[in-house]
Amino acid sequence: MLSALLLIPFAGALGLLCWPGELATERIRRAALGLLVLQLLWSLRVLLVFDVSDPGLQLQESFAWVDSIGLDYRLGVDGLAMPLVLVNAALTLVSAICTRDLSQRPRLYFALLLGISGAVNGAFLSENLLLFFLFYELELIPLWLLISIWGGANRGYAATKFLIFTAISGVLILGAFLGLALVTGQADFGINPVTTAQLGMGTQLVLLGALLIGFAIKIPLVPFHTWLPDAHTEASTPVSVLLAGVLLKLGTYGLLRFCLGLFPEAWALLAPWLAGWAAVSVLYGSLAAIAQRDMKRMVAYSSVGHMGYILLAAAAATPVSLLGAVFQMVSHGLISALLFLLVGVVYRKTRTRDLEVLRGLLNPERGLPFTGTLMILGVMASAGMPGMAGFISEFLVFRGSLAAFPLATLLCMVGSGLTAVYFLLLVNRAFFGRLAVTPPSGDPVADSRLEVRLPAVALRETLPALALASGVVGLGVLPWGLGKLSEQATTAMAQLPALVAAIQGGGLLS
Amino acid sequence: MRPIPRSPKPPLTFSGGLPSSDDLVETLLAGRTLLAESPDHLSQVVDVLESYGEVLDAYSINLIYQAEKQFLNPFPVFRFLDGDHSPAKIWRHLLHDRINFEYAEYCQKAMLWHGTGGLDAYLDSEAFAANCAAIVARKTRRDPLLAALNPLFPQFLGELIRSAATTHALGQFWRVMSDLFIDLARAERDGRVDSIAAVVTFIKEGLVAAAGAPITYAVEIAGSRFWVLPPEAGLTFLMDVAVPYVEAVFLRGTPFLGTVSFNAQAQQISPDQAQFMYGALYADPLPTMGSGIPPSLLMQDMYRHLPDRLHQTYLAGIRGAGDVRVKICMTFQKAMFCVTNAAIAGTFPHPLDSDVPAQQAANRAYAAAWAARLCVARTDCLDDPG
Repeated sequence: MLSALLLIPFAGALGLLCWPGELATERIRRAALGLLVLQLLWSLRVLLVFDVSDPGLQLQESFAWVDSIGLDYRLGVDGLAMPLVLVNAALTLVSAICTRDLSQRPRLYFALLLGISGAVNGAFLSENLLLFFLFYELELIPLWLLISIWGGANRGYAATKFLIFTAISGVLILGAFLGLALVTGQADFGINPVTTAQLGMGTQLVLLGALLIGFAIKIPLVPFHTWLPDAHTEASTPVSVLLAGVLLKLGTYGLLRFCLGLFPEAWALLAPWLAGWAAVSVLYGSLAAIAQRDMKRMVAYSSVGHMGYILLAAAAATPVSLLGAVFQMVSHGLISALLFLLVGVVYRKTRTRDLEVLRGLLNPERGLPFTGTLMILGVMASAGMPGMAGFISEFLVFRGSLAAFPLATLLCMVGSGLTAVYFLLLVNRAFFGRLAVTPPSGDPVADSRLEVRLPAVALRETLPALALASGVVGLGVLPWGLGKLSEQATTAMAQLPALVAAIQGGGLLS
Repeated sequence: MRPIPRSPKPPLTFSGGLPSSDDLVETLLAGRTLLAESPDHLSQVVDVLESYGEVLDAYSINLIYQAEKQFLNPFPVFRFLDGDHSPAKIWRHLLHDRINFEYAEYCQKAMLWHGTGGLDAYLDSEAFAANCAAIVARKTRRDPLLAALNPLFPQFLGELIRSAATTHALGQFWRVMSDLFIDLARAERDGRVDSIAAVVTFIKEGLVAAAGAPITYAVEIAGSRFWVLPPEAGLTFLMDVAVPYVEAVFLRGTPFLGTVSFNAQAQQISPDQAQFMYGALYADPLPTMGSGIPPSLLMQDMYRHLPDRLHQTYLAGIRGAGDVRVKICMTFQKAMFCVTNAAIAGTFPHPLDSDVPAQQAANRAYAAAWAARLCVARTDCLDDPG
């Protein structure tokens, strides 16, 4: 059953590439949409048969692939992966829906989109470390192509930077996995916690350090974040949606599944430092967001800040904080995708994202009032307003981490307050006041006489954002569904015997 | 696959010309029209004035009804129903399926507040005070509420009568203007008006023809008739009502309702009413989300009566019906510049072709006074083809 989640996008991508003869862009788009709808439906089918009371991996599929190097095709899903698989299916579909005016190579574009989605599914469902790595790397080249072919003016620089950073991330992760196999002598590459009885703490720390830096680049955490704002700025809207909503989650997923899951004792030892790192990342991301004048860069830096919450929750490693981490992954996926979609609409209509230029976009007749309304909803959710997804996730993260790391948690809460600061700056500058889409001329009378003729936003352009906004509010009002889905898995993760032993030994709270 | 060549994107902004004061003086003295001459402008102005005429007809009827039938009614709850209290009418009223008579009241209050011209002078006269005293004496005889209020607030009923007098005068003014604008549309359809210059001339001739028409107002109380604005006051259409109306509504206006307190507190509003520039010729067609901005009420009303030709023009625009009120406002401002143009042309102190240097100087000074005010108005619409 899980293999279908890989088969649909990969076979679809291959089919699109190999289909004989010329295909019109719209036909290719429809075919890709059909495949992605099928993928979403299949993901929902997996959800239906998923047993929420079982904390372990379910629906497992396995066969030996390259036995000699320990690369087995082993798939399984648990409460940590299930929500992310759903988010992947939903956001790839949204990305495809909001792909319009594709001027070149539509066949390659949609094939890459499908390929990324399949690779992400593979990474989330892998039970084998090498298989995970394979899929983790598999999404790298398609994303690089998506940025470097369909990106903005400075796309070459941004794509190369992304490639270099993520390649180093991959090398570190592969190195850690191979190192683990080497020092433990177990070459099956299974996801089994390592204890001090098997491996010395020094070695554990080295391997965990490599994994941490590898995933910190992907998440990204300060100071490994510099590729993200550039990549977002140059990527097209659908690619930004995918990047922020899904691909960053590979890093946070890796943090929970492999860093915490493989090295619970070393994790417990490092946890206070990790909490401090989280606070620095949150505050740096938030303060950097305040300084931005490009809407997209501001949203990108907000991602850097908000990913820090997940590191804090993982560091605390309590059942509540880990559940909060899952909520934060899902809610950040929806909210950041929503914000990037809306910034994309603003850019498409006004041809700028400059906060020193844009004014009054909420103008009811000549502006983008519905886009502005959704943007206000999105930034409220991101700032953690009650009733929306951001509140649930931040509350769980803070509630679960406060007892373990009070100072780091309080600093992260300040970061949450800073989210309100930079997003209110965004909304106030771009959406309130008299409508303007050009820089001030210096003559107030001439500026106040300037007529603005923005094209209207069609309903079909707003529907994806509306769907995401509904998800953000739905998750905020009815969080129990996701809670139920992940609670067993995150509780089990927090109660890993080695982790519990380390906590009892005072490692966590020392 | 080769990249598909894209057509150049249309500009997102339009910057209309902002003629200087000197340019405007020369235009006025040369007898040229302020609004650029074009077939599009002609159809837009004529059509928007036709819809304005329809709206003014409703405003006029209601204002005269209010002044005569709701006179000194301290709780005029049904004043917008024109005396029709049928359930169907009340239901439509509650559903807001109606003209925004509030805009007419807004204009009336602007006139009363700015108080310029002969009408205001008469409202402050001894003769008017005597009329008020007689009316109040008669009215309070049978109305216990007013009888109780009057000694407590002796200025109250007098002020209500001033307001009613302005209301009736404005109703009479709009009666004439409504008919004039409907006639203009008819003339354009008949081919008698085929240019912006002809529109200005048509309006000027209409104003001049009605210039001397008397403005009078009487009320009936308990079977007796009382003059509020008697014929002997000598109030006339053009100088005592039309000119103060242009001053109050076209030029000065009032700070927008809802934002007035914030702007006043920020010292953004001049304490000198003569310096006000919030009238129709200055209004920003782009609403900025302030609540209760009255010009938008007028645009809603005009939308109900928009001629099909103008409606189709708007629908063909980039936003279709989505920004129709903004477009109406912009077209309306073009039309109001034509009306102002006609009013200026009709009130020059001397003929424009005069050879007498003193008369030429007087005309130039008159044009310069207008130009100084108009050059900071929304003149950007004058050469906007949209």
